[in-house]
Amino acid sequence: MNEYLTISDALDGLRENEITATELVEKAIETGKSLDDELGIYIARYDEHAREAAAAADAVYAAGDEPGLLQGIPLGIKDIITTVEGETTAQSLVLDRSWGPAIGDAVVVQRMRDAGGVITGKTTTMEYAIGVPDWTKPFPIPRNPWNTEHWTGGSSSGTGNGVAAGAFLGGLGTDTGGSIRIPAAYCGISGIKATFGRVPKSGCVPLGYSLDHIGPMARSARDCAIMLQVLAGYDPSDACAVDAPVPDYLSGLTGDLTGLRVGVDTLAQHVGDDGDPATVAALQAAVSVLSELGATVTELALPYYAELNVATRVTSRSEAFAYHVPDFRSRWGDYFQSTRTGVGSAVAFTGADFVQAQRVRRVGQKAVAALFADVDVIVTPTASIGALSLEELGDLGGGWFRSMHTSYWNAVGNPALSVPMGFTAAALPLGMQIVTRPFDEATGLKVGEAYQRATRWHLAVPPLAGRYDVAVRDQGDLTDTAA
Amino acid sequence: MTGDDQKLDVVLEICGISPLPQDKEIMLKNFVTAREQAALLWGVAEARYEEPGLIFSAKL
Amino acid sequence: MSEKYLTIADAAVAMRDGTTTSVAITQEILDRTATLNPALGAYVEVTADAALEQAAAADAALADGIDHGPLQGIPLAIKDIIAMREAPTTANSRVLDPEWGKGTDAPVVARLRAAGAVFVGKATTSEFALGLPDPDKGFPIPHNPWNVAHTPAGSSSGTGVAVSAGLALGGLGTDTGGSVRGPASVNGHTGLKVTFGRVPKSGVVPLGFSLDSIGPMARSAYDCALLLEVMAGYDASDPNAADVPVPKYSELLSGDIAGLEIGLPIPYFFEHEKLDPEMKEAVLGAVKQLVDLGARSEEFELPYANEAKDANHIIMVAEAYAYHRNDLVNRWTDYGYATRPTLARGAFYTAGDVAQAQRFRMMWSRLVARAFEKYDVMITPSAPAPAEKASEMTVSRRLLTPNYTGHWNLTGLPAVAVPVGFSTAGLPLSMQVIGKPFAEATVLKVADALQRITDWHLAVPPVEALVAAA
Repeated sequence: MNEYLTISDALDGLRENEITATELVEKAIETGKSLDDELGIYIARYDEHAREAAAAADAVYAAGDEPGLLQGIPLGIKDIITTVEGETTAQSLVLDRSWGPAIGDAVVVQRMRDAGGVITGKTTTMEYAIGVPDWTKPFPIPRNPWNTEHWTGGSSSGTGNGVAAGAFLGGLGTDTGGSIRIPAAYCGISGIKATFGRVPKSGCVPLGYSLDHIGPMARSARDCAIMLQVLAGYDPSDACAVDAPVPDYLSGLTGDLTGLRVGVDTLAQHVGDDGDPATVAALQAAVSVLSELGATVTELALPYYAELNVATRVTSRSEAFAYHVPDFRSRWGDYFQSTRTGVGSAVAFTGADFVQAQRVRRVGQKAVAALFADVDVIVTPTASIGALSLEELGDLGGGWFRSMHTSYWNAVGNPALSVPMGFTAAALPLGMQIVTRPFDEATGLKVGEAYQRATRWHLAVPPLAGRYDVAVRDQGDLTDTAA
Repeated sequence: MTGDDQKLDVVLEICGISPLPQDKEIMLKNFVTAREQAALLWGVAEARYEEPGLIFSAKL
Repeated sequence: MSEKYLTIADAAVAMRDGTTTSVAITQEILDRTATLNPALGAYVEVTADAALEQAAAADAALADGIDHGPLQGIPLAIKDIIAMREAPTTANSRVLDPEWGKGTDAPVVARLRAAGAVFVGKATTSEFALGLPDPDKGFPIPHNPWNVAHTPAGSSSGTGVAVSAGLALGGLGTDTGGSVRGPASVNGHTGLKVTFGRVPKSGVVPLGFSLDSIGPMARSAYDCALLLEVMAGYDASDPNAADVPVPKYSELLSGDIAGLEIGLPIPYFFEHEKLDPEMKEAVLGAVKQLVDLGARSEEFELPYANEAKDANHIIMVAEAYAYHRNDLVNRWTDYGYATRPTLARGAFYTAGDVAQAQRFRMMWSRLVARAFEKYDVMITPSAPAPAEKASEMTVSRRLLTPNYTGHWNLTGLPAVAVPVGFSTAGLPLSMQVIGKPFAEATVLKVADALQRITDWHLAVPPVEALVAAA
């Protein structure tokens, strides 16, 4: 485990010559290597490439050149995004192994590399970014560093547990229904799905082309802001990319929430008895922190809650089905069971159902826009339960799915950040979801960062990573010692 | 009309897909859920005259 | 058409030099409509009184020195799926709620009204812009003025017939798979399908919302330009309206096409076994005339054109089905015999099929965009053949025959249908000019350049027998 928990601290250390990129990356490599078997972080490690990139970063610092925004920072890439170092598997037996190398670096990877980022390897995912682990397939099972009997959440699993465990300081996830925010919440780190179209997604294996997002995962909201600064911006290679100006996210992190209007929905009414009571308590505590920071808080109810989650499901299944159907016909059994039965369930939807889902999304966009007339930020739990044990998971049709509160925002496209907000009684992390208006990632990041100035949940280190003897998880201690 | 399992068999045949025996139960459960979900979407009265922005269908 | 004034441009000049008035032209057109509409079925409803009031107002304004431009006092036909204050919108259907759009103007109609246009009435459409006429449903059956046994095509049938037969000087159609260009093609005038988003389509009964567009129909490309420069421009009421500046199209029709690069996509558009040789010959003849004016042309291979036609159809019926689902379930027989099975096709495609059609759409659009890196325009026939006999048209036939128009709805590109001659049977032949996004000025310029040296677009159909019979 690195002494430096966050990208921003590490960048300070690098600039102040307290540490070299080589040392930082060596620590990351060592941590990854020592924990990989237990946690299932990586599909492929690129140790030598990473060492070379670290040395190059050190040269930049040594020369006194202006470092890139991620100069020398070790980063993991979810293995559905292409890089030049090797093939992309999507953690699947099915994906054509020549697909990734033919593309080379995805636009986002190229941008991270140009910013001096050090790619340490390709991280585990749920197969094709959907579903749950399949024990019969020859791939690592990602495990939660807070309790290895539990799941990391999916599908950006390896990026999530890798950041939490210190195998790298940040990384890329993708999010079609919550695949950045759920593992971020469950591994106790931060992660943001920006506005749909904000980050180009070319070079990423698609799940649902009108719902897919690539985004940063890291310990802190500040780190996510640094990464998003690098990732965001138009590129013509993605038909869905939006040509909108990218603001300076970092200068907006003022810590001051004075006058900010926050609407809260605990979503408890949608989960009934399934929800963990710790979720509502943690959210209420988090909201009072926002209030102390100057925000005015009101309660609200998300409109079309069930309908929009279903619209995401109908859309993602149908779009994924169009991509996978040729392989479903010829290689059904090579897919993970939850992938083939989950995506395969699209056979139940008609073309008109698919169109109707798009119409409902538009209705939802309008209704959400109306909410944002009265508030600047909406907060909810990221999920109403902590990570399930791997045994409990079953398939995607499990009732636990309704305790995930992320896919609503894929239906409408708004940016949504998850930040750690506490723990369950079983010592599993919980996340708060912070949502803002389209293309206003800056406000969400500001709220997350201000919250993290007042709390230390995002700095809690899982026992497995071995930095602290005991995980810090008492709310009182944390807020008392807040910086 | 036939039962759900028979309807599922029909759409699977239309789509050219043959699930493994161990998938049948999950597929049937997913099929029934999916039809309920589709019905939920058709219940959104406000969508009657709605059209999505092009971003959700295709960008030209 | 007035006997004297075939085009909007000519009528506008005559009104300003005192040769005629809007009232005179409007009255002449109303009289002619009273005579011919029973045989041609161009209008669902003629709003004669309102039209004469509008004409009088236009004349009075002009006399007072208030000139809103060339459309002032010009009689137009409005397809009856577009809301217009004076008359209900029926969509030629028993199903549409009679309250729909009642007493309101669609933004595009409001813009024409503000420019001083005169509205002759609501023009016949295929039911919900789809299907074939059903004589049992009580709506007019439109006929081709060049030969009433033949179809005027759809779905903007009435506007096409009205422009051709002189029952309006221009008008509005809508186009989801060819519904402006088809009628323009078989009725022998000019019709422009605009870039998706160019003209706000709120106030229009949707067919396929990601494919629909409202376009101008008139005798000449120049007239279409005059209409479009009023119709085009952003309006927030249409979620897909594009906020792109609107040029003064009519001023860009310079006649100069020197150096223009024309691509002729093969094989589907020129080598299809069902392409009528007369159609092909007329189109290639027109291309040669354009080349003589300084353009260059060459064939190029455009793959997956047949698939593109199907993708357009799949997306259209899936979107239409989503709109009509509740009524199809509850009021099946209120729909026309050809409308309901066509709409019901939307139920036969799976969600994966529609998603795949959208994925194909993105892929094919990129392919076409690459071709447009080399060419300024593409040219194809507007249709594989001249107007079919109405008695030979069936519901399933359109699935089995090629179509040259839906491709450009799929890609969202502007495309204009231009008359290029007549078949030996005396039916109009038509060429389609396709351009880059928002390059309406370019496709209209090409059409206009041709119309400066040809007069196919000014040919008047032989309706004397119908007049005599009336």
